[in-house]
Amino acid sequence: MENMMKDKIEQLVDYIMKKCLWQFQSRAWDREKQNEGILTKTMQILCDEPVETGTPADKCYWVDAVCLADAFKSRYEWLGTMDKTEIKLLMQGLKDRMDYLTITGSLNEELNDPHY
Amino acid sequence: MPYHEFQCSKCIPERKKHAVIKGPGEDLTSALPLGYLNTIPGSISERGCAYCGAKHVIGTPMKDVIHMSHGPIGCTYDTWQTKRYISDNDNFQLKYTYATDMKEKHVIFGAEKLLKQNIIEAFKAFPNIKRMTLYQTCASALIGDDINAIAQEVMDEMPDVDIFVCNSPGFGGPSQSGGHHKINIAWINQKVGNVEPKITSDYVINYVGEYNIQGDQEVMVDYFKRMGIQVLSTFTGNGSYDDLRAMHRANLNVLECARSAEYICNELRVRYGIPRLDIDGFGFEPLSASLRKVGLFFGIEDRAQAIIDEETARWKPELDWYKERLKGKKVCLWPGGSKLWHWANVIHEEMGLEVVSVYTKFGHQGDMEKGISRCEEGALAIDDPNELEGIEVMETLKPDIIFTGKRPGEVAKKLRVPYLNAHAYHNGPWKGFEGWVRFARDIYNAIYSPIHQLAFVDISKDEIPTHTRFLTQKMLSDVNLSEEITASNDLREYTGKYDSLTAIRSKTYPEFPSKKELSAV
Repeated sequence: MENMMKDKIEQLVDYIMKKCLWQFQSRAWDREKQNEGILTKTMQILCDEPVETGTPADKCYWVDAVCLADAFKSRYEWLGTMDKTEIKLLMQGLKDRMDYLTITGSLNEELNDPHY
Repeated sequence: MPYHEFQCSKCIPERKKHAVIKGPGEDLTSALPLGYLNTIPGSISERGCAYCGAKHVIGTPMKDVIHMSHGPIGCTYDTWQTKRYISDNDNFQLKYTYATDMKEKHVIFGAEKLLKQNIIEAFKAFPNIKRMTLYQTCASALIGDDINAIAQEVMDEMPDVDIFVCNSPGFGGPSQSGGHHKINIAWINQKVGNVEPKITSDYVINYVGEYNIQGDQEVMVDYFKRMGIQVLSTFTGNGSYDDLRAMHRANLNVLECARSAEYICNELRVRYGIPRLDIDGFGFEPLSASLRKVGLFFGIEDRAQAIIDEETARWKPELDWYKERLKGKKVCLWPGGSKLWHWANVIHEEMGLEVVSVYTKFGHQGDMEKGISRCEEGALAIDDPNELEGIEVMETLKPDIIFTGKRPGEVAKKLRVPYLNAHAYHNGPWKGFEGWVRFARDIYNAIYSPIHQLAFVDISKDEIPTHTRFLTQKMLSDVNLSEEITASNDLREYTGKYDSLTAIRSKTYPEFPSKKELSAV
């Protein structure tokens, strides 16, 4: 069961890494905000929950989230068989993995430069 | 760490950490080369300097500006006309280049008087141009000329002119990327917020990190206009100096080349609250997603979808014609910075090419993160390569084509490997739906050029075949294709015009009624 979840997370990671750019902003604090903002909103869309779009930043996260949710739904049929609790678990696992790959485990030595 | 050591660079052991091969099961936490560091002494780098990065890459594409270098004439000459960033004002910024022509005596006695004289002379020679960018070089920086003071003196004496000072001498960074950074920050510090623009739409963007190579910007702006979006400024291709002073009034920054221009987007986000949306103008799928995202942001995604549907129906059969003939061809994707990640996945998916190596001359580790993520397993990723390493890769990986700059490109040709100019293009524009087909056509023409086939014969040792007749490109490319493909009615070669831009420049656009009262200053 755990392996199945891991495999599904890796499929989603592979999609993001090959098709998206939002996860690779240049500083750690921006990557944290991007991962949190976009993946949380993607989870909310996939779970039919309301999504906050009040600020320009929120709207920008939402734009990427809409496209990501659509891509996930069209490419990974198994997503349609999951209930909302499972989707939340999946998306939390995805966020943890993305945080590791792009922030905490990243070898990029510029991530913590205090200036742009 | 899967570092790759080149045979030719064994004598420079520090080079080992600048190349990796992404193996099975490896990810970015185990496969990432060093990057954006000073070039190691002894390695013959292909990089440019920080002055070149500031002036040649970012400053000079601005179209209505005198671009003046304060330094020896070679600095301005070597950054002139080698990159085809055209403009819709008769290419003013490409036709002329300006330098103060510093000599040894100026190094001894100072060159501030010379600078002032040159600035005034240039404005008088071009009385319709009232804007200037002024670039520091190594020579003028080392003698301490105060170019800001001189620029201010001239502006006080000539109130109708405006001068931007870019203090990015050649030694100001490990590569041209240091210059990108300096000019981004200098522009927002000195100029953004100085002009209030006329707002003509409910939807206003800055198009950032786009340099109008052979018309890329004009193709993309056409899509935005068809969506009813006002492109307030373009940073900087085909961009206007005064439009770029008004960047603070946009609703959204749409960022194309994050390598060269993310700094100004990040600062616009911090200082003015304008969000940053990274987009991809290359390739059908990435471009479609990008237009859709911009549309979604403004609530006009239906307009974006209409363009995507129309353009895809028109051009996809032509892209697929080339894909059938390019499948499995090996490519070394060796651009300067951003194209390594813009292209790495989409040329594989949409053209069937196999990326066997990526390199970046001046990219940072962030660019390698994107590029390596988008490559398939086994690709060799190299940071700041030297010429011998490039040759070693071509001899071992045997690519069918190289996408790179003209210096390493000429080396590739000598090794009988065709190359396309990734910086200035061959028959661009390459952005946009039609542009992507033009790129595919250029790749096809390079790989299957009959002349190139002749180059494989080494007249010093090979026997020259006299019984074979001349082969056309199609005879070469179609030899192993099925009849289903060669006789397909669904696929076709590029049918666009030689000049795909003139029609765009004279186009009229639909008017979309505004929902709110627009400011007009």
